[in-house]
Amino acid sequence: MHDKQFKKEMLTESAHAYKAGRMDRRTFLALCGASGVAMNAVLAGDAEAAADYVVMWNWGGQSEECHGSAIGDAFTANTGKGLKFDTSGPLEGKIREMVDSGNVTADVADADLFNAVSLGPTGHLEPIDYSVVSKDKTLPGYALEHGVSVILYGYAFVYDTEAYGDNPPQNWADFFDVEKFPGMRSLYKWANGSLEAALMADGVAGDALYPLDMDRALAKIKSIKDDSLYWGSGSEAHSMVVNGEVSLGMVWQNRGRNIERDTDGRYKLVNNQAMAMPGAYIVPKGNPAGAAVMDFIATAQEVPAQLALLDCLGMTPSNPEAFSQIPDDQQPYAITSAMNIDNIVYNDPDWWGKNGGDAVNAFLEAIS
Amino acid sequence: MHALTRHIHPGWLIIAPLFLLVVTLYLGPILNILWLSFTDPEPGLGNYAKLGQEGAQLRIVWTTVRICIITTIFSVVLGYSIAYAMVHAHRQQKSYMLTLLLVSFWISILVRTFAWLMLLGRKGLVNVTLEDIGLIAEPITFMRNELGVLIGMVHYMIPYAVLPLLVSMQSIDQRVMNASRNLGASGTQTFWRIYLPLTTPGLVAATLLVFILSLGFYVTPAVLGGGKVLMVAEYISVQLLVTLKWGTAAMLAAIMLMGVLAMLWIMSRFMKLSTVFGGATR
Repeated sequence: MHDKQFKKEMLTESAHAYKAGRMDRRTFLALCGASGVAMNAVLAGDAEAAADYVVMWNWGGQSEECHGSAIGDAFTANTGKGLKFDTSGPLEGKIREMVDSGNVTADVADADLFNAVSLGPTGHLEPIDYSVVSKDKTLPGYALEHGVSVILYGYAFVYDTEAYGDNPPQNWADFFDVEKFPGMRSLYKWANGSLEAALMADGVAGDALYPLDMDRALAKIKSIKDDSLYWGSGSEAHSMVVNGEVSLGMVWQNRGRNIERDTDGRYKLVNNQAMAMPGAYIVPKGNPAGAAVMDFIATAQEVPAQLALLDCLGMTPSNPEAFSQIPDDQQPYAITSAMNIDNIVYNDPDWWGKNGGDAVNAFLEAIS
Repeated sequence: MHALTRHIHPGWLIIAPLFLLVVTLYLGPILNILWLSFTDPEPGLGNYAKLGQEGAQLRIVWTTVRICIITTIFSVVLGYSIAYAMVHAHRQQKSYMLTLLLVSFWISILVRTFAWLMLLGRKGLVNVTLEDIGLIAEPITFMRNELGVLIGMVHYMIPYAVLPLLVSMQSIDQRVMNASRNLGASGTQTFWRIYLPLTTPGLVAATLLVFILSLGFYVTPAVLGGGKVLMVAEYISVQLLVTLKWGTAAMLAAIMLMGVLAMLWIMSRFMKLSTVFGGATR
């Protein structure tokens, strides 16, 4: 708290200094970046400084602080440009609306790679410039024309050790087995991950999931409907577990560590058969900062940024160079760590980009 | 200029800015939505035809209407008794009751929704207490189902039901009831045959208000329904934001709007709507 106050005062001071010409722009922006509040460039009231930034469109909460410290600082140091945030959540419909309206205010969206498949061909995204961004600093197949995976998140599950301590559930088949593991479970409401988990539980191999057999997956989902709740956001998934509403909870793996901590270890994360989801940076067509955003994406691909995002947000690196540098205490939680990488399965953004809309509706129909 | 003022009352000039504002900011987007429902993804009646063909969409509309009807019944009945108690309470008590009512009226819907989760959830106050006393062995599932949605919605809607009823009850001439008793009617008879008919405009206003507001509920069903109670508002939001089926979303929005307008029109056949909204009874 005092820390924040100090930063604020320091920035206000430096903003005044900058305006009065006692400090140059670069130093000022570096200070802004260093305190993780780059948007203070605007507070200084200087149009030149204010225009010299990249706007990241993310999901708010901790991510603002983490994206600032993990990527923003290095980006500012490299390019002298600041980083600002729009934390309203870049859902596909919002991106489409923003581009269609002609008033594009964001440069890079913290989205899913399947968004790049569905919004790219319709002309809503800028292509990724692979002369700046590297195709080798992400997993093969996750560097697409209109988006590149910068982090991975995963659909994994946590279980109640008090309920199943002696014989814990180990895979999705156990998760869907209400006889062997009685109790409520929670799944993601918007189909993603839930469908794949159902198919794996039904015996489909992790590398043979796509194209998804919707009928088979939905039948499996329906078979445990009476014992299921469905969550729509990470915090809801978190609270369903922490409040003891479910004994088995599908979660985004990056929440696993916090859940274990918040329940004093009563709930434990299982990353076996975790579904790796490529979280991608995509650029809305006609973004205000133009090509400068590619430098930002390239910065996010670097190993230090990758490890910092893991440390701060629990997001797993997608740059293979970073895999071996995942620290020991993060091994159980990062899905591409040496401990987990052989047991995970990979999402196919192409299938989701082309069939996602219908799949979500079919899923909602099945659970409601 | 003279010819103009002869045909157009100058009073229109005063309301013209507001009128234009409403037309551009309100009617424009609504027409845009209607337009979208006929043109996205391709021109024609495809979106509306799908409503008939796909059981799912029709089922969601039906779930919404059903939940709204149940919510309205409970809110209005409970609201009626609350308003009745308030009108007949002492001045001091009445102002206490009004304060409590308004406080709950002003609290954000999110807070009220999550409060129910704290109270009636699986590990909520009520379940834990009942389990500790030994009354129940397994927690009662109040929340994350349709019951939870109904509890949350009725609770949210009660103030909306009470306020119009209160106004209507306060405007009744108490001497009419005295006359009824004086002429030999029992208390029950007086209530059913005199009091209730006199409060009908308030009753209709409360019913309409609660029902129409319930149709657009988003947060409560999404949180308290545990994902299993899908109402139109949430479905529309998913179609807009996730599946990008804007035509479907626009079609459902148009259907809901038409439904509400049709309901108002039918009501207007039976009674003067202006009395419901506070106009003079003439």
